[in-house]
Amino acid sequence: MEKYLLNINDLKVTIEDKEILKGLNLQIKEGETHVIMGPNGSGKSTLAYTLMGHPSYEITQGGIQFDGEIINEMKADERARKGIFLSFQYPEEIPGITVEEFLRTSKTSITGEMQKIIPFRRLLKTKMEHLGMDESYASRYLNLGFSGGEKKKNEILQMSILEPKLAILDETDSGLDVDAIKIVAESVMKIKDEKCSILVITHYNKLLEYLEPDYVHILMDGKIVKTGGVELANQIDEIGYENIKAEFSNI
Amino acid sequence: MLWKRIGLKDFEFPKVHDYKKDYIKIEGKFPKEVKINRISESENKYFDIEFSGVGDKFTSFAKKYYNAGIQLRLPRNTKIVEPVKLEFHMDENNPTLVDKNLIIAEEGSEVNIIMDYYSNEKIETLHNGLTVIYAKENATVNIIKIQRLGDSSQSFDSNIAYVEGNGKVNWISVELGSYISGSNYRTYLDGEASGSNLSSIYLGDGIRKMDLEYTMIHKGPRSISNIETKGVLKDNSKKVFRGNLDFKRGSRHSKGVEEEYVILLDPTVKSDSIPALLCDEDDVEGEHAASAGQIDENKLFYLMSRGLDERESKKLVVEASFRPIIDRIPYKYLQEIIFDEIERRLIDA
Ligand SMILES: Nc1ncnc2c1ncn2[C@@H]1O[C@H](COP(=O)(O)OP(=O)(O)O)[C@@H](O)[C@H]1O
Ligand SMILES: [Mg+2]
Repeated sequence: MEKYLLNINDLKVTIEDKEILKGLNLQIKEGETHVIMGPNGSGKSTLAYTLMGHPSYEITQGGIQFDGEIINEMKADERARKGIFLSFQYPEEIPGITVEEFLRTSKTSITGEMQKIIPFRRLLKTKMEHLGMDESYASRYLNLGFSGGEKKKNEILQMSILEPKLAILDETDSGLDVDAIKIVAESVMKIKDEKCSILVITHYNKLLEYLEPDYVHILMDGKIVKTGGVELANQIDEIGYENIKAEFSNI
Repeated sequence: MLWKRIGLKDFEFPKVHDYKKDYIKIEGKFPKEVKINRISESENKYFDIEFSGVGDKFTSFAKKYYNAGIQLRLPRNTKIVEPVKLEFHMDENNPTLVDKNLIIAEEGSEVNIIMDYYSNEKIETLHNGLTVIYAKENATVNIIKIQRLGDSSQSFDSNIAYVEGNGKVNWISVELGSYISGSNYRTYLDGEASGSNLSSIYLGDGIRKMDLEYTMIHKGPRSISNIETKGVLKDNSKKVFRGNLDFKRGSRHSKGVEEEYVILLDPTVKSDSIPALLCDEDDVEGEHAASAGQIDENKLFYLMSRGLDERESKKLVVEASFRPIIDRIPYKYLQEIIFDEIERRLIDA
Protein backbone atom coordinates (compact mmCIF):
# COMPACT_ATOMS: atom_id res chain seq x y z
CA MET A 1 0.00 0.00 0.00
CA GLU A 2 1.24 3.46 -0.89
CA LYS A 3 1.80 5.90 1.91
CA TYR A 4 0.63 9.43 1.32
CA LEU A 5 1.50 12.53 3.29
CA LEU A 6 -1.69 14.15 2.04
CA ASN A 7 -4.68 12.22 0.86
CA ILE A 8 -7.76 14.15 -0.19
CA ASN A 9 -10.76 12.07 -0.92
CA ASP A 10 -13.88 13.19 -2.77
CA LEU A 11 -13.75 16.55 -1.05
CA LYS A 12 -16.73 18.87 -1.23
CA VAL A 13 -16.50 22.32 0.25
CA THR A 14 -19.07 25.10 0.49
CA ILE A 15 -18.71 28.71 1.42
CA GLU A 16 -21.79 30.68 2.34
CA ASP A 17 -23.91 27.78 1.07
CA LYS A 18 -22.24 27.84 -2.32
CA GLU A 19 -20.46 24.65 -3.31
CA ILE A 20 -16.96 25.47 -4.57
CA LEU A 21 -15.09 22.18 -4.40
CA LYS A 22 -17.19 19.43 -5.91
CA GLY A 23 -15.51 16.12 -5.26
CA LEU A 24 -11.80 16.74 -5.39
CA ASN A 25 -9.17 14.01 -5.15
CA LEU A 26 -5.47 14.57 -4.63
CA GLN A 27 -2.68 12.45 -3.23
CA ILE A 28 0.77 13.74 -2.37
CA LYS A 29 3.69 11.67 -1.12
CA GLU A 30 6.54 12.84 1.00
CA GLY A 31 9.00 14.96 -0.94
CA GLU A 32 6.84 15.32 -4.03
CA THR A 33 6.09 18.60 -5.75
CA HIS A 34 2.61 19.04 -7.19
CA VAL A 35 1.27 21.94 -9.19
CA ILE A 36 -2.32 23.08 -9.45
CA MET A 37 -3.33 25.32 -12.31
CA GLY A 38 -6.77 26.49 -13.23
CA PRO A 39 -8.79 29.47 -14.37
CA ASN A 40 -9.67 32.25 -11.94
CA GLY A 41 -12.47 31.30 -9.62
CA SER A 42 -12.04 27.56 -10.16
CA GLY A 43 -11.45 26.96 -6.46
CA LYS A 44 -7.66 26.92 -6.03
CA SER A 45 -7.52 29.26 -3.06
CA THR A 46 -10.55 27.53 -1.61
CA LEU A 47 -8.57 24.31 -1.63
CA ALA A 48 -5.60 26.02 0.01
CA TYR A 49 -7.75 27.63 2.73
CA THR A 50 -9.61 24.39 3.34
CA LEU A 51 -6.37 22.48 3.79
CA MET A 52 -5.18 25.08 6.29
CA GLY A 53 -8.51 25.07 8.16
CA HIS A 54 -10.21 28.40 7.49
CA PRO A 55 -13.42 28.36 9.56
CA SER A 56 -15.57 29.84 6.77
CA TYR A 57 -14.96 26.91 4.47
CA GLU A 58 -17.23 24.04 5.34
CA ILE A 59 -16.42 20.49 4.37
CA THR A 60 -19.69 18.80 3.44
CA GLN A 61 -18.28 15.57 2.15
CA GLY A 62 -15.05 13.64 1.96
CA GLY A 63 -11.97 13.90 4.04
CA ILE A 64 -8.49 15.25 4.29
CA GLN A 65 -5.94 12.87 5.67
CA PHE A 66 -2.59 14.32 6.61
CA ASP A 67 0.31 12.36 8.00
CA GLY A 68 -1.97 9.43 8.81
CA GLU A 69 -4.73 11.40 10.51
CA ILE A 70 -8.06 12.82 9.36
CA ILE A 71 -7.76 16.54 9.95
CA ASN A 72 -11.21 17.76 8.85
CA GLU A 73 -12.08 19.02 12.34
CA MET A 74 -8.71 20.45 13.27
CA LYS A 75 -8.26 24.17 13.76
CA ALA A 76 -5.65 26.06 11.79
CA ASP A 77 -3.16 26.25 14.66
CA GLU A 78 -3.29 22.48 15.21
CA ARG A 79 -2.73 21.92 11.51
CA ALA A 80 0.22 24.27 11.58
CA ARG A 81 1.69 22.30 14.44
CA LYS A 82 1.20 19.09 12.45
CA GLY A 83 3.32 20.58 9.68
CA ILE A 84 1.05 22.29 7.17
CA PHE A 85 2.06 25.72 5.93
CA LEU A 86 0.19 28.06 3.63
CA SER A 87 1.84 30.90 1.82
CA PHE A 88 -1.14 33.24 1.45
CA GLN A 89 -2.18 34.75 -1.85
CA TYR A 90 -3.05 37.89 0.12
CA PRO A 91 -1.08 38.02 3.37
CA GLU A 92 -2.67 40.04 6.21
CA GLU A 93 -1.16 43.14 7.79
CA ILE A 94 -0.85 43.04 11.58
CA PRO A 95 0.45 46.23 13.17
CA GLY A 96 1.71 45.75 16.70
CA ILE A 97 3.82 42.66 16.27
CA THR A 98 7.11 42.72 14.44
CA VAL A 99 8.19 40.10 11.93
CA GLU A 100 10.80 38.85 14.37
CA GLU A 101 8.54 38.67 17.44
CA PHE A 102 5.84 37.01 15.39
CA LEU A 103 8.07 34.37 13.89
CA ARG A 104 9.69 33.60 17.20
CA THR A 105 6.27 33.13 18.81
CA SER A 106 5.18 31.07 15.86
CA LYS A 107 8.26 28.83 15.85
CA THR A 108 7.97 28.34 19.61
CA SER A 109 4.38 27.29 19.23
CA ILE A 110 5.01 24.95 16.31
CA THR A 111 8.10 23.22 17.66
CA GLY A 112 6.97 23.31 21.30
CA GLU A 113 10.42 24.58 22.16
CA MET A 114 11.14 28.04 23.49
CA GLN A 115 13.14 29.93 20.89
CA LYS A 116 15.94 31.86 22.50
CA ILE A 117 16.31 35.42 21.29
CA ILE A 118 19.94 35.42 20.16
CA PRO A 119 20.09 32.12 18.23
CA PHE A 120 16.72 32.86 16.69
CA ARG A 121 17.87 36.26 15.56
CA ARG A 122 20.89 34.65 13.94
CA LEU A 123 18.69 32.11 12.12
CA LEU A 124 16.33 34.83 10.95
CA LYS A 125 19.18 36.95 9.69
CA THR A 126 20.61 34.08 7.61
CA LYS A 127 17.24 33.26 6.10
CA MET A 128 16.59 36.91 5.29
CA GLU A 129 19.92 37.16 3.58
CA HIS A 130 19.05 34.17 1.39
CA LEU A 131 15.88 35.92 0.37
CA GLY A 132 17.60 39.22 -0.25
CA MET A 133 15.46 40.88 2.42
CA ASP A 134 16.90 43.83 4.25
CA GLU A 135 17.50 43.12 7.94
CA SER A 136 15.38 46.08 8.93
CA TYR A 137 12.26 44.14 7.95
CA ALA A 138 12.71 41.99 11.05
CA SER A 139 11.76 44.89 13.27
CA ARG A 140 8.90 46.14 11.15
CA TYR A 141 5.30 45.36 11.90
CA LEU A 142 4.11 42.21 10.21
CA ASN A 143 3.41 43.01 6.55
CA LEU A 144 2.38 46.58 7.38
CA GLY A 145 3.17 48.77 4.41
CA PHE A 146 5.08 45.99 2.65
CA SER A 147 4.78 45.97 -1.14
CA GLY A 148 3.07 43.01 -2.79
CA GLY A 149 6.43 41.42 -3.57
CA GLU A 150 7.78 42.01 -0.06
CA LYS A 151 4.73 40.35 1.45
CA LYS A 152 5.29 37.29 -0.72
CA LYS A 153 8.93 37.10 0.25
CA ASN A 154 7.91 37.40 3.87
CA GLU A 155 5.65 34.38 3.40
CA ILE A 156 8.57 32.38 2.07
CA LEU A 157 10.72 33.59 4.94
CA GLN A 158 8.13 32.22 7.34
CA MET A 159 8.07 28.94 5.45
CA SER A 160 11.82 28.49 5.64
CA ILE A 161 11.88 29.27 9.35
CA LEU A 162 8.95 27.03 10.23
CA GLU A 163 10.14 24.04 8.12
CA PRO A 164 6.77 22.43 7.43
CA LYS A 165 6.09 18.96 6.06
CA LEU A 166 3.72 20.32 3.46
CA ALA A 167 4.06 23.82 2.01
CA ILE A 168 1.16 25.18 -0.01
CA LEU A 169 2.11 28.18 -2.11
CA ASP A 170 -0.96 30.05 -3.30
CA GLU A 171 0.17 32.24 -6.19
CA THR A 172 3.33 33.15 -4.34
CA ASP A 173 4.94 34.03 -7.65
CA SER A 174 2.27 36.57 -8.65
CA GLY A 175 3.61 40.06 -8.24
CA LEU A 176 7.24 38.96 -8.19
CA ASP A 177 9.74 39.93 -10.86
CA VAL A 178 11.92 37.26 -12.47
CA ASP A 179 14.82 37.81 -10.08
CA ALA A 180 12.58 37.54 -7.07
CA ILE A 181 11.02 34.36 -8.46
CA LYS A 182 14.46 32.82 -8.72
CA ILE A 183 15.29 33.76 -5.14
CA VAL A 184 11.98 32.38 -3.87
CA ALA A 185 12.50 29.19 -5.88
CA GLU A 186 15.86 28.66 -4.22
CA SER A 187 14.28 28.84 -0.77
CA VAL A 188 11.60 26.39 -1.82
CA MET A 189 14.26 24.02 -3.21
CA LYS A 190 16.01 24.12 0.15
CA ILE A 191 13.02 22.93 2.12
CA LYS A 192 12.32 20.42 -0.64
CA ASP A 193 15.73 18.94 0.04
CA GLU A 194 14.53 18.40 3.58
CA LYS A 195 11.80 16.07 2.25
CA CYS A 196 9.10 18.71 2.41
CA SER A 197 6.21 18.17 0.02
CA ILE A 198 5.13 21.16 -2.03
CA LEU A 199 1.79 22.13 -3.49
CA VAL A 200 2.18 25.05 -5.85
CA ILE A 201 -0.77 27.04 -7.12
CA THR A 202 0.34 29.17 -10.02
CA HIS A 203 -0.50 30.73 -13.37
CA TYR A 204 3.06 30.98 -14.59
CA ASN A 205 5.75 28.56 -15.66
CA LYS A 206 8.68 30.57 -14.46
CA LEU A 207 8.64 29.09 -10.96
CA LEU A 208 8.16 25.59 -12.36
CA GLU A 209 11.35 25.80 -14.39
CA TYR A 210 13.20 25.75 -11.10
CA LEU A 211 10.99 23.45 -9.11
CA GLU A 212 10.66 20.55 -11.57
CA PRO A 213 7.29 19.33 -10.37
CA ASP A 214 6.36 15.66 -10.31
CA TYR A 215 2.74 16.30 -11.25
CA VAL A 216 0.66 19.07 -12.75
CA HIS A 217 -3.09 19.08 -12.07
CA ILE A 218 -5.74 21.15 -13.73
CA LEU A 219 -8.52 22.36 -11.43
CA MET A 220 -11.75 23.38 -13.07
CA ASP A 221 -15.09 24.08 -11.52
CA GLY A 222 -14.13 22.49 -8.22
CA LYS A 223 -12.58 19.30 -9.53
CA ILE A 224 -9.25 18.09 -10.77
CA VAL A 225 -10.00 17.33 -14.40
CA LYS A 226 -6.60 16.43 -15.70
CA THR A 227 -3.26 15.34 -14.33
CA GLY A 228 0.05 15.14 -16.15
CA GLY A 229 3.66 16.19 -16.02
CA VAL A 230 5.34 19.51 -16.76
CA GLU A 231 4.25 19.24 -20.39
CA LEU A 232 0.70 19.98 -19.24
CA ALA A 233 1.83 23.28 -17.77
CA ASN A 234 3.59 24.15 -21.00
CA GLN A 235 0.53 23.30 -23.01
CA ILE A 236 -1.60 25.62 -20.89
CA ASP A 237 0.98 28.31 -21.16
CA GLU A 238 0.64 28.14 -24.94
CA ILE A 239 -3.01 27.59 -25.56
CA GLY A 240 -4.80 28.30 -22.30
CA TYR A 241 -7.62 26.31 -20.79
CA GLU A 242 -10.02 26.37 -23.74
CA ASN A 243 -9.11 22.94 -25.10
CA ILE A 244 -9.40 21.30 -21.74
CA LYS A 245 -12.68 23.05 -21.10
CA ALA A 246 -14.05 21.80 -24.39
CA GLU A 247 -12.79 18.29 -23.70
CA PHE A 248 -14.65 18.17 -20.42
CA SER A 249 -17.84 19.81 -21.46
CA ASN A 250 -18.19 17.03 -24.03
CA ILE A 251 -18.30 14.30 -21.45
CA MET B 1 -30.27 63.58 29.27
CA LEU B 2 -26.74 62.56 28.51
CA TRP B 3 -26.84 59.87 31.12
CA LYS B 4 -30.21 58.35 30.41
CA ARG B 5 -28.74 55.80 28.10
CA ILE B 6 -26.39 54.47 30.66
CA GLY B 7 -28.78 54.99 33.55
CA LEU B 8 -27.23 57.69 35.69
CA LYS B 9 -29.84 60.34 36.18
CA ASP B 10 -30.03 60.08 39.96
CA PHE B 11 -26.36 60.40 40.65
CA GLU B 12 -25.39 61.81 44.07
CA PHE B 13 -21.93 63.05 44.91
CA PRO B 14 -20.27 61.82 48.09
CA LYS B 15 -18.67 64.26 50.50
CA VAL B 16 -15.34 65.37 49.12
CA HIS B 17 -12.32 65.09 51.42
CA ASP B 18 -8.84 66.35 50.79
CA TYR B 19 -6.85 64.52 48.19
CA LYS B 20 -3.68 64.05 50.16
CA LYS B 21 -1.33 62.47 47.68
CA ASP B 22 1.26 64.16 45.64
CA TYR B 23 0.34 63.98 41.99
CA ILE B 24 2.56 66.43 40.11
CA LYS B 25 5.58 64.54 38.79
CA ILE B 26 8.22 66.46 37.00
CA GLU B 27 11.44 64.89 35.92
CA GLY B 28 13.15 67.48 33.79
CA LYS B 29 14.12 71.00 34.78
CA PHE B 30 11.74 73.59 33.53
CA PRO B 31 12.60 77.23 32.97
CA LYS B 32 11.60 79.16 36.07
CA GLU B 33 9.09 81.27 34.19
CA VAL B 34 7.01 78.14 33.71
CA LYS B 35 4.51 78.09 36.51
CA ILE B 36 3.03 74.83 37.67
CA ASN B 37 1.00 75.03 40.84
CA ARG B 38 -1.87 73.37 42.54
CA ILE B 39 -5.07 74.92 41.33
CA SER B 40 -6.37 77.84 43.36
CA GLU B 41 -9.21 80.31 43.38
CA SER B 42 -7.11 82.99 41.75
CA GLU B 43 -7.84 81.42 38.39
CA ASN B 44 -11.59 81.17 38.71
CA LYS B 45 -12.23 83.56 35.84
CA TYR B 46 -10.84 81.02 33.38
CA PHE B 47 -13.51 78.57 34.46
CA ASP B 48 -16.30 81.04 33.93
CA ILE B 49 -17.31 79.28 30.73
CA GLU B 50 -20.36 77.64 29.37
CA PHE B 51 -19.52 74.01 29.20
CA SER B 52 -21.64 71.17 30.44
CA GLY B 53 -19.11 68.46 29.62
CA VAL B 54 -20.41 65.11 30.84
CA GLY B 55 -23.26 67.02 32.48
CA ASP B 56 -23.79 70.41 34.16
CA LYS B 57 -24.01 68.73 37.51
CA PHE B 58 -20.51 67.35 37.08
CA THR B 59 -18.76 70.43 35.75
CA SER B 60 -20.37 72.77 38.28
CA PHE B 61 -19.38 70.39 41.03
CA ALA B 62 -15.78 70.30 39.83
CA LYS B 63 -15.64 74.09 39.63
CA LYS B 64 -16.69 74.38 43.27
CA TYR B 65 -15.58 71.30 45.16
CA TYR B 66 -12.29 70.37 43.56
CA ASN B 67 -9.68 68.75 45.76
CA ALA B 68 -6.83 68.51 43.26
CA GLY B 69 -5.59 69.78 39.91
CA ILE B 70 -3.03 72.15 38.49
CA GLN B 71 -2.68 75.53 36.97
CA LEU B 72 0.02 75.66 34.39
CA ARG B 73 1.09 78.74 32.53
CA LEU B 74 3.61 78.73 29.75
CA PRO B 75 5.11 82.07 28.84
CA ARG B 76 5.53 83.18 25.24
CA ASN B 77 7.70 81.03 23.01
CA THR B 78 8.59 78.68 25.84
CA LYS B 79 8.78 75.10 24.72
CA ILE B 80 9.22 72.32 27.21
CA VAL B 81 9.98 68.87 25.96
CA GLU B 82 9.94 66.87 29.20
CA PRO B 83 6.32 66.05 29.91
CA VAL B 84 4.37 67.45 32.82
CA LYS B 85 3.03 64.33 34.48
CA LEU B 86 0.01 64.17 36.69
CA GLU B 87 -0.36 60.80 38.33
CA PHE B 88 -3.54 60.30 40.24
CA HIS B 89 -3.18 57.03 42.08
CA MET B 90 -6.35 56.75 44.08
CA ASP B 91 -6.51 54.53 47.16
CA GLU B 92 -8.47 53.75 50.37
CA ASN B 93 -7.47 57.05 51.92
CA ASN B 94 -8.08 59.07 48.80
CA PRO B 95 -11.13 57.50 47.22
CA THR B 96 -12.56 60.71 45.78
CA LEU B 97 -10.77 62.83 43.27
CA VAL B 98 -12.22 66.02 41.88
CA ASP B 99 -9.53 67.54 39.76
CA LYS B 100 -9.76 70.90 38.13
CA ASN B 101 -6.99 71.79 35.73
CA LEU B 102 -6.07 74.90 33.85
CA ILE B 103 -3.48 75.05 31.12
CA ILE B 104 -2.61 78.31 29.46
CA ALA B 105 -0.11 78.12 26.64
CA GLU B 106 0.86 81.63 25.59
CA GLU B 107 1.77 82.54 22.03
CA GLY B 108 4.31 80.22 20.43
CA SER B 109 4.73 77.98 23.46
CA GLU B 110 4.63 74.21 23.55
CA VAL B 111 3.95 71.67 26.27
CA ASN B 112 3.38 67.93 26.73
CA ILE B 113 1.07 66.77 29.47
CA ILE B 114 0.28 63.28 30.73
CA MET B 115 -2.66 62.71 33.05
CA ASP B 116 -2.92 59.19 34.37
CA TYR B 117 -5.77 58.01 36.61
CA TYR B 118 -5.54 54.62 38.29
CA SER B 119 -6.61 52.67 41.34
CA ASN B 120 -6.57 49.14 42.63
CA GLU B 121 -9.29 46.82 41.44
CA LYS B 122 -11.15 46.47 44.74
CA ILE B 123 -11.40 50.07 45.92
CA GLU B 124 -14.53 52.07 45.21
CA THR B 125 -13.37 55.38 43.86
CA LEU B 126 -14.95 58.36 42.22
CA HIS B 127 -13.21 60.59 39.77
CA ASN B 128 -14.75 63.79 38.45
CA GLY B 129 -12.46 66.01 36.44
CA LEU B 130 -12.53 69.25 34.53
CA THR B 131 -9.70 70.41 32.34
CA VAL B 132 -9.62 73.74 30.52
CA ILE B 133 -6.95 74.54 27.96
CA TYR B 134 -6.18 77.85 26.29
CA ALA B 135 -3.78 77.52 23.37
CA LYS B 136 -2.87 80.97 22.08
CA GLU B 137 -1.53 81.87 18.61
CA ASN B 138 0.98 79.29 17.40
CA ALA B 139 0.98 77.41 20.68
CA THR B 140 0.89 73.62 20.86
CA VAL B 141 -0.53 71.54 23.68
CA ASN B 142 -0.15 67.77 23.50
CA ILE B 143 -2.16 66.08 26.16
CA ILE B 144 -2.53 62.38 26.94
CA LYS B 145 -5.23 61.21 29.31
CA ILE B 146 -5.31 57.66 30.57
CA GLN B 147 -8.22 56.38 32.59
CA ARG B 148 -7.42 52.92 33.98
CA LEU B 149 -9.27 52.97 37.27
CA GLY B 150 -10.39 49.67 38.76
CA ASP B 151 -13.73 48.05 38.07
CA SER B 152 -15.31 49.39 41.27
CA SER B 153 -14.70 52.98 40.19
CA GLN B 154 -16.69 55.63 38.45
CA SER B 155 -15.08 58.18 36.24
CA PHE B 156 -16.39 61.44 34.80
CA ASP B 157 -14.16 63.63 32.80
CA SER B 158 -14.88 66.90 31.01
CA ASN B 159 -12.30 68.60 28.82
CA ILE B 160 -12.42 71.77 26.83
CA ALA B 161 -9.89 73.64 24.73
CA TYR B 162 -9.87 77.02 23.02
CA VAL B 163 -7.40 77.12 20.17
CA GLU B 164 -6.31 80.39 18.56
CA GLY B 165 -4.80 80.95 15.11
CA ASN B 166 -2.23 78.35 14.06
CA GLY B 167 -2.45 76.88 17.51
CA LYS B 168 -2.84 73.17 18.11
CA VAL B 169 -4.31 70.97 20.77
CA ASN B 170 -3.66 67.27 20.33
CA TRP B 171 -5.61 64.99 22.63
CA ILE B 172 -4.96 61.33 23.16
CA SER B 173 -7.52 59.60 25.29
CA VAL B 174 -7.19 56.05 26.59
CA GLU B 175 -10.28 54.63 28.29
CA LEU B 176 -9.74 51.29 29.95
CA GLY B 177 -11.29 51.29 33.39
CA SER B 178 -14.22 52.06 35.76
CA TYR B 179 -17.62 50.42 35.64
CA ILE B 180 -19.13 53.72 34.60
CA SER B 181 -17.14 56.13 32.53
CA GLY B 182 -18.21 59.39 30.97
CA SER B 183 -15.71 61.23 28.90
CA ASN B 184 -16.28 64.48 27.10
CA TYR B 185 -13.92 66.49 24.92
CA ARG B 186 -14.85 69.76 23.30
CA THR B 187 -12.45 71.81 21.23
CA TYR B 188 -13.08 75.28 19.85
CA LEU B 189 -11.02 76.03 16.77
CA ASP B 190 -11.30 79.75 17.16
CA GLY B 191 -8.55 81.13 14.93
CA GLU B 192 -7.34 80.90 11.40
CA ALA B 193 -5.72 77.51 10.77
CA SER B 194 -6.31 76.33 14.32
CA GLY B 195 -5.97 72.58 14.54
CA SER B 196 -6.90 69.74 16.79
CA ASN B 197 -6.48 65.98 16.73
CA LEU B 198 -8.29 63.69 19.07
CA SER B 199 -7.03 60.12 18.98
CA SER B 200 -8.63 57.70 21.32
CA ILE B 201 -8.98 54.08 22.22
CA TYR B 202 -11.48 52.44 24.51
CA LEU B 203 -11.90 48.96 25.84
CA GLY B 204 -15.17 47.77 27.32
CA ASP B 205 -15.20 44.62 29.39
CA GLY B 206 -17.33 43.15 32.15
CA ILE B 207 -20.33 45.39 32.74
CA ARG B 208 -18.64 48.69 31.91
CA LYS B 209 -20.84 51.46 30.58
CA MET B 210 -19.18 54.19 28.60
CA ASP B 211 -20.48 57.47 27.32
CA LEU B 212 -18.01 59.21 25.06
CA GLU B 213 -18.64 62.52 23.38
CA TYR B 214 -16.12 64.33 21.22
CA THR B 215 -16.92 67.69 19.70
CA MET B 216 -14.96 69.89 17.35
CA ILE B 217 -16.32 73.38 16.81
CA HIS B 218 -14.83 75.18 13.85
CA LYS B 219 -14.97 78.96 13.97
CA GLY B 220 -11.75 80.07 12.32
CA PRO B 221 -11.19 79.75 8.58
CA ARG B 222 -8.97 76.89 7.37
CA SER B 223 -9.18 75.18 10.71
CA ILE B 224 -8.58 71.46 10.78
CA SER B 225 -9.81 68.77 13.09
CA ASN B 226 -9.41 65.05 13.20
CA ILE B 227 -11.09 62.52 15.47
CA GLU B 228 -9.93 58.95 15.30
CA THR B 229 -11.26 56.36 17.68
CA LYS B 230 -10.66 52.64 17.94
CA GLY B 231 -12.69 50.60 20.36
CA VAL B 232 -13.13 47.04 21.48
CA LEU B 233 -16.14 45.77 23.39
CA LYS B 234 -16.49 42.45 25.10
CA ASP B 235 -18.63 40.67 27.70
CA ASN B 236 -21.66 42.80 28.62
CA SER B 237 -20.14 46.20 28.10
CA LYS B 238 -22.08 49.10 26.65
CA LYS B 239 -20.92 52.17 24.84
CA VAL B 240 -22.41 55.30 23.39
CA PHE B 241 -20.14 57.30 21.14
CA ARG B 242 -21.04 60.76 19.92
CA GLY B 243 -18.79 62.52 17.48
CA ASN B 244 -19.82 66.06 16.59
CA LEU B 245 -18.39 68.30 13.91
CA ASP B 246 -19.78 71.80 14.00
CA PHE B 247 -18.82 74.33 11.35
CA LYS B 248 -19.79 77.83 12.44
CA ARG B 249 -20.13 80.93 10.30
CA GLY B 250 -16.69 82.07 9.23
CA SER B 251 -15.06 78.67 9.23
CA ARG B 252 -14.76 78.56 5.46
CA HIS B 253 -12.16 76.19 3.95
CA SER B 254 -12.12 74.21 7.16
CA LYS B 255 -11.98 70.48 7.32
CA GLY B 256 -13.08 68.01 9.92
CA VAL B 257 -12.84 64.25 9.88
CA GLU B 258 -14.16 61.76 12.38
CA GLU B 259 -13.74 58.02 12.36
CA GLU B 260 -14.74 55.38 14.82
CA TYR B 261 -13.98 51.68 14.44
CA VAL B 262 -15.11 49.21 17.00
CA ILE B 263 -14.60 45.47 17.27
CA LEU B 264 -17.41 43.62 18.96
CA LEU B 265 -15.96 40.51 20.55
CA ASP B 266 -19.18 39.17 22.02
CA PRO B 267 -22.79 39.26 20.85
CA THR B 268 -23.78 40.49 24.33
CA VAL B 269 -22.18 43.93 23.97
CA LYS B 270 -24.04 47.06 22.99
CA SER B 271 -22.53 49.73 20.81
CA ASP B 272 -24.21 52.96 19.72
CA SER B 273 -22.52 55.48 17.49
CA ILE B 274 -24.10 58.82 16.81
CA PRO B 275 -22.14 61.05 14.48
CA ALA B 276 -23.39 64.58 13.88
CA LEU B 277 -22.37 67.11 11.30
CA LEU B 278 -23.58 70.71 11.59
CA CYS B 279 -22.81 73.35 8.98
CA ASP B 280 -23.46 77.10 9.03
CA GLU B 281 -20.82 77.62 6.39
CA ASP B 282 -20.87 76.26 2.83
CA ASP B 283 -17.29 75.99 1.89
CA VAL B 284 -16.21 73.35 4.39
CA GLU B 285 -15.45 69.67 4.32
CA GLY B 286 -16.78 67.30 6.93
CA GLU B 287 -16.41 63.57 6.83
CA HIS B 288 -17.40 60.81 9.09
CA ALA B 289 -16.94 57.10 8.98
CA ALA B 290 -17.95 54.50 11.48
CA SER B 291 -17.90 50.76 11.51
CA ALA B 292 -18.72 48.13 14.03
CA GLY B 293 -18.04 44.53 13.37
CA GLN B 294 -16.68 41.28 14.61
CA ILE B 295 -13.03 40.56 14.76
CA ASP B 296 -11.49 40.19 11.31
CA GLU B 297 -11.70 36.47 10.71
CA ASN B 298 -9.05 36.51 8.00
CA LYS B 299 -6.50 38.15 10.26
CA LEU B 300 -7.30 35.65 12.97
CA PHE B 301 -6.91 32.80 10.52
CA TYR B 302 -3.61 34.15 9.25
CA LEU B 303 -2.13 34.18 12.75
CA MET B 304 -3.55 30.79 13.66
CA SER B 305 -2.15 29.31 10.48
CA ARG B 306 1.25 30.06 11.97
CA GLY B 307 0.52 27.99 15.05
CA LEU B 308 -0.69 30.72 17.42
CA ASP B 309 -3.72 29.60 19.40
CA GLU B 310 -7.04 31.37 19.13
CA ARG B 311 -6.70 33.41 22.32
CA GLU B 312 -3.24 34.65 21.49
CA SER B 313 -4.33 35.44 17.93
CA LYS B 314 -7.40 37.35 19.09
CA LYS B 315 -5.29 39.35 21.47
CA LEU B 316 -2.91 40.26 18.68
CA VAL B 317 -5.70 41.33 16.34
CA VAL B 318 -7.25 43.49 19.05
CA GLU B 319 -3.90 45.04 19.90
CA ALA B 320 -3.31 45.62 16.23
CA SER B 321 -6.47 47.70 16.04
CA PHE B 322 -5.30 49.88 18.96
CA ARG B 323 -1.74 50.11 17.77
CA PRO B 324 -1.95 53.02 15.33
CA ILE B 325 -3.32 55.22 18.15
CA ILE B 326 -0.97 53.98 20.85
CA ASP B 327 2.00 54.51 18.56
CA ARG B 328 1.19 58.22 18.69
CA ILE B 329 2.15 58.24 22.36
CA PRO B 330 5.82 59.13 22.31
CA TYR B 331 6.61 57.49 25.67
CA LYS B 332 7.55 53.82 25.65
CA TYR B 333 6.80 53.32 29.35
CA LEU B 334 3.25 54.57 28.85
CA GLN B 335 2.71 52.34 25.85
CA GLU B 336 3.76 49.41 28.00
CA ILE B 337 1.45 50.36 30.86
CA ILE B 338 -1.42 50.59 28.41
CA PHE B 339 -0.70 47.28 26.70
CA ASP B 340 -0.27 45.49 30.05
CA GLU B 341 -3.65 46.77 31.13
CA ILE B 342 -5.27 45.77 27.82
CA GLU B 343 -3.72 42.34 28.04
CA ARG B 344 -4.86 41.92 31.63
CA ARG B 345 -8.40 42.82 30.69
CA LEU B 346 -8.45 40.68 27.56
CA ILE B 347 -6.74 37.56 28.84
CA ASP B 348 -7.27 37.28 32.58
CA ALA B 349 -10.99 37.86 32.48
N1 LIG C 1 -15.20 34.26 1.20
C1 LIG C 1 -15.93 33.96 0.09
N2 LIG C 1 -17.24 34.24 0.07
C2 LIG C 1 -18.00 33.95 -1.01
N3 LIG C 1 -17.53 33.36 -2.11
C3 LIG C 1 -16.23 33.06 -2.17
C4 LIG C 1 -15.36 33.34 -1.05
N4 LIG C 1 -14.12 32.92 -1.37
C5 LIG C 1 -14.23 32.42 -2.61
N5 LIG C 1 -15.48 32.49 -3.10
C6 LIG C 1 -15.95 32.06 -4.40
O1 LIG C 1 -15.46 30.76 -4.61
C7 LIG C 1 -15.03 30.61 -5.95
C8 LIG C 1 -13.60 30.11 -5.99
O2 LIG C 1 -12.75 31.10 -5.49
P1 LIG C 1 -11.20 30.84 -5.28
O3 LIG C 1 -11.03 29.56 -4.56
O4 LIG C 1 -10.64 32.06 -4.64
O5 LIG C 1 -10.70 30.72 -6.76
P2 LIG C 1 -9.23 30.77 -7.39
O6 LIG C 1 -8.27 30.83 -6.26
O7 LIG C 1 -9.14 29.51 -8.17
O8 LIG C 1 -9.20 31.96 -8.26
C9 LIG C 1 -15.22 31.93 -6.64
O9 LIG C 1 -16.43 31.89 -7.34
C10 LIG C 1 -15.34 32.90 -5.50
O10 LIG C 1 -16.15 33.98 -5.84
MG1 LIG D 1 -6.80 32.27 -5.68
